[in-house]
Amino acid sequence: MAEFDPKIVAFLCNWCAYAGADLAGVSRFQYPADLRTVRVMCSGRVDPLFITRAFKQGCDGVLVAG
Amino acid sequence: MSGIGADRLHLAWVSSAEAQRFVEVVTDVSASIHEQGKLDPDRFSLQLAAAEDTLSGEPLRWMVGKEVQITTKGDVYGRQWDEASYESIMDRTLEKEYHKNLIVQAIKDGCQMPRDISARIGLDLQRVSFLLTDLEKARQVEFKGMEACKPVFAAL
Repeated sequence: MAEFDPKIVAFLCNWCAYAGADLAGVSRFQYPADLRTVRVMCSGRVDPLFITRAFKQGCDGVLVAG
Repeated sequence: MSGIGADRLHLAWVSSAEAQRFVEVVTDVSASIHEQGKLDPDRFSLQLAAAEDTLSGEPLRWMVGKEVQITTKGDVYGRQWDEASYESIMDRTLEKEYHKNLIVQAIKDGCQMPRDISARIGLDLQRVSFLLTDLEKARQVEFKGMEACKPVFAAL
């Protein structure tokens, strides 16, 4: 069986986690590549509907980081 | 509540200076999802559709939008609400709306009698009958008549 390759949607706040992810990249830290990043201007922008839709369309997990 | 598992949704606070923390969070989330395995959306299609209808429905949207106003200034009847009691009412509304939408989804899926609906979504029969009356009043379902002494419903 092929290895499980999960789809995780990550909603990242532009000012916090997205910048953190950017810094992690610049600092050459290794981290799993399962994330599909969506940049939002604030984690308050994330509507619960985005999350149910993500699951409906076949995502295995959702991460909201601010 | 929809049964897909609360562990599939993660919430974390990472500041822009915390690259190391971001890496930790992503590693944890990824490991947790790997452990839980694949999510099959078809298995939860009724539940996810009901969750979506509930979250986009008017009652919940109104309650979230009015929360600050009602907990700080009171409601239109001049009653005061503290945050805890408001939240508990919001939770109850959420549960009720979700169950109602689940029933509608089950009817759309081909269940017609309360007993079938109850078996399909795993909600007890009394609750289903109670909520069907509610749905009928709101014109979301229609009573079609009796068939072999059992009530038959259709979605509108």
